[in-house]
Amino acid sequence: MLADDLLEDARHLAAKGDAEKRMSCMRRAISTAYYAVFHLLVEDFVEHWEFEDQRARLGRMFDHTKMRDAAFTPKDKKNPTPVETALIDVKTAFGQLQGDRHRADYDLGWNIIQTDVTDAITLAEDTFVKWRSIRNEDVARHHLLSMFGAKR
Amino acid sequence: MYVPPAVTRQSEIQAAIDEVERSLASDVVRIRYEIGEDWSGQWAIFFRVVLTDDAAKQRLREVANKVVWGLSRRLDFPGMGVFPYHNYRSVSEQAALQEEAWADA
Repeated sequence: MLADDLLEDARHLAAKGDAEKRMSCMRRAISTAYYAVFHLLVEDFVEHWEFEDQRARLGRMFDHTKMRDAAFTPKDKKNPTPVETALIDVKTAFGQLQGDRHRADYDLGWNIIQTDVTDAITLAEDTFVKWRSIRNEDVARHHLLSMFGAKR
Repeated sequence: MYVPPAVTRQSEIQAAIDEVERSLASDVVRIRYEIGEDWSGQWAIFFRVVLTDDAAKQRLREVANKVVWGLSRRLDFPGMGVFPYHNYRSVSEQAALQEEAWADA
């Protein structure tokens, strides 16, 4: 999957950035970590579309801001289920990675340090694991539909 | 002009931060925050978390997850009209960068 390849690319960029103290690689590592998670979700959505030749077009309909802003509230806010907890983590991580990606690509005033890069990579890795553990649950499928832009 | 409820609930925010700092004192040195608009124009709260060197190097993800959940359990971010962002750095990194926004208040 493209998402897995991007996550691997992010790790390589992070390692190169650390070894060579190369800011461009550190920035690209953070940016790529976000796109890995973005494609993880988009690929998961479109692979269920029956018409394979239309999947790329469908994937291009995803909007980054709508994906971040998709609402989710657990049934019992004070006592979310394990699946709901994992989904909240995925949702929070997506917003965090998206914000960091924007800063990495455009904010030259951001003094990126190794902890920023490690944070982005490990957060993306954590998100892959969590998403894949809940991806077939109803609550996750509904949230993915909300990220696509469907109203409740 | 719209101002999110978070702006008027800063004592509540600081109290939550104090609790999280205390509960994770072995790894978290301090947490500072700022309310403002993010890249998309959405209101946000930006937490800047300084960690011990050991925590940042050896168990960043574990400690970061505890910080995120510790704050979100205590603060209703959607109700406050803000999206939370959390960023981290070690004591050594802050000592090298000397950024005021991350310094001890």
